[in-house]
Amino acid sequence: MTPVLSVAEAHKRFGDTLALDGAELQLGAGEWLALLGPNGAGKTTLVRAVAGRVRLDSGRMTLLGRSLNDDSAHGNERDQLGVVPQDIALYPQLTAAENLRAWGRLHGVPSAAIGERVRWALDWTGLESRAKEPVKRFSGGMKRRLNIACGVLHRPEIVLLDEPTVGVDPQSRERIWEMLEDIRGDGASLLLTTHQLDEAQQVCDRIVIIDHGRVIAAGTFEELLRQTIGAERRITVSLDAQPPREFAGERWQIADDETLECRVADIAVELPSLLSELSAAGARVADLHVDAPTLQAVFIHLTGRELRE
Amino acid sequence: MIRTLLAINWLNLKRDRVALGLTFVLPLVFFSIFAVIFGGMGSGSIAAGSMKVIGVDLDHTDVSRKFIDALDGQDAIDIVTAPEPTENEPEPEPFSRDSALLAVRTGDRSVAVVVPEGFAASFGNFGGDTAKVELIHDPANPLVQHIVSGLIQASAMTAAPDILLDGGLEHLETFGGALTPQQEQVVDTFKEMLKTGESSSAAGEPGAAATAESGSAFAGLVEIEAVSAMEAEEDSAGGGPSIVSYYAAGIGVMFLLFSMAAAGAALLEEEESGTLERLLSSRVGMQTLLAGNWLFYSAVGFAQLAVMFTWGALVFDLDLFTPKHLAGFAAMSLVTAVAAAAFGIMLAAICKSRAQLNGISTVVILVMSALGGSMVPRFAMPEFMNTTALFTFNGWALDGYLKVFWYGDPAATLLASLLSLVPQLAVLAGMTIVFLVIARVLARRWEAV
Repeated sequence: MTPVLSVAEAHKRFGDTLALDGAELQLGAGEWLALLGPNGAGKTTLVRAVAGRVRLDSGRMTLLGRSLNDDSAHGNERDQLGVVPQDIALYPQLTAAENLRAWGRLHGVPSAAIGERVRWALDWTGLESRAKEPVKRFSGGMKRRLNIACGVLHRPEIVLLDEPTVGVDPQSRERIWEMLEDIRGDGASLLLTTHQLDEAQQVCDRIVIIDHGRVIAAGTFEELLRQTIGAERRITVSLDAQPPREFAGERWQIADDETLECRVADIAVELPSLLSELSAAGARVADLHVDAPTLQAVFIHLTGRELRE
Repeated sequence: MIRTLLAINWLNLKRDRVALGLTFVLPLVFFSIFAVIFGGMGSGSIAAGSMKVIGVDLDHTDVSRKFIDALDGQDAIDIVTAPEPTENEPEPEPFSRDSALLAVRTGDRSVAVVVPEGFAASFGNFGGDTAKVELIHDPANPLVQHIVSGLIQASAMTAAPDILLDGGLEHLETFGGALTPQQEQVVDTFKEMLKTGESSSAAGEPGAAATAESGSAFAGLVEIEAVSAMEAEEDSAGGGPSIVSYYAAGIGVMFLLFSMAAAGAALLEEEESGTLERLLSSRVGMQTLLAGNWLFYSAVGFAQLAVMFTWGALVFDLDLFTPKHLAGFAAMSLVTAVAAAAFGIMLAAICKSRAQLNGISTVVILVMSALGGSMVPRFAMPEFMNTTALFTFNGWALDGYLKVFWYGDPAATLLASLLSLVPQLAVLAGMTIVFLVIARVLARRWEAV
């Protein structure tokens, strides 16, 4: 993988607080990378350092092969970076089109191209019909979409998204992921922080988990499973009567009076034999659940905390 | 970049009707109230402590010298007979009538007393014509005129009482008959006492104790002709400078500062909303951001002053639309606006929150406005407060506007009248630089940490 963005040995201290303690990550071309961590873990500091808003005490950062370490590296070096903050950083008195135009110009979109880019963004966000309305009248989801559009209007190769779906309804969230899929199709690489673990698991190519300023795990979801809780699925069987005592053992565990649980590595191979076993013992299966391992479980395993703690 | 920042600021202001109202309408309301209250009255009051009064002796006699000395002896005034000497320059000539008139006209002094030729010859002539003492005064401060008039009468009594006694006796003999030898002997003894100054104790030290009130008791000893220093302009323009110009400047500058503080608060609002963070993540550097905001606030400030003075011209007959006044107004308003804009940005950089800024700016602006003359005219303040005003933004800005609209020399050329503003323009420009440097240094907290 050729990284378009890499951070190595990043250290940053704010007074007595060590925000980054050797954090590192690499973002490949066209890759989606989720940066997860409990509150205060250092992920916002890391993203702000990449965006040029935090100066590292030590460490190395490169963007498209160019170093970002130089103090003067602000402006051209980051032209290929799009930053979408968690705050709705828009001008509420300005219309959607005026916000897009302003942020586009501030990110260096030439005046000759700005009109076309604004039209594209309005279409992309589904806000064409609201283009001339002040943003202060928009719903949360509409503002969130516009917030993203303002950060990518200059067609950056790398986009940093800080909680892009926070505080929006499920429909708007789905719309936002569709929008991001569009720019993925154009080849953009995304680094995003999120509290939506299910979404991170579904849409991201790789996941980096950070805690106490250090990366404690990184890889694809499957790699993280292997590194932590394993890929075993949990099968829960509800019976219509109390299970026979002989089922209690290494394979089955009695969860309560009428429920049994067991873990299997390969469900396609093992499930038929498990059901046959129950049937042979005279137990009638009333219900059956198969739970796949989740990123939430991995996260708790690694950090000992829920993500929202 | 700066053009885009200007456009963003303009659209924000245009759509915020409350901010627009606070910027442009509220100052007009306040100004109008002050103008209606004070505009027709030309009121003022006397400054406590001694005031500098120009003394011009055109008579050059012993009596006129004594009269000027007696005037100088009054606690309430100090007589100056020549302009302040400047370093490496020859000793300045004593004031003539014209130079005294100009000094009052241009606001260097509030009043001048001109002792005319023939003053001694007619001094104490109660029955006939007397040479009139001219009292050249600034109509902005009419009370000073009345107080100095009283002091002139008191001084006349103490300057040459023997001569006054001679005049009085002559008058008595004309209408009441000659004195007896015994009466003449008593009068001669008393005159000798008056000449040697023993009268002071006998009369309860009238010279030392003279006040405006005691002066009025002697009204009529000397004939006084009050002359307005603005007379020439009044004659040619059909009305002299009006107190309205004072309040246009005073209220205008005070509200300008409030508007700029509010503009500074907008910068803090950007910080709180996250747009500042986003701006600084774009191509906009801190210098560009501050420069863009400063330029926009300056333009708004200039527009605010222009609206204020135009309103004054249209509604209250403020004499704005003459080439000299327009040029002076433009120069003063430009520099005042850029300085006030820098002040607003500095406040934003100093304060950590909008609440903090609102509190600090209200106190600072009200204090500066009170000391600097935006609320109460400077001539109504004690002398030491006039000095204090020089440490305030309002003081210097008001001085400049008053030079343009009140104390401008009508005979001066356009260039000369603009050059007379150089001290005020220079100080305000200096303040601008200081404010901007402080703002830039403190704005580091918004940069990468």
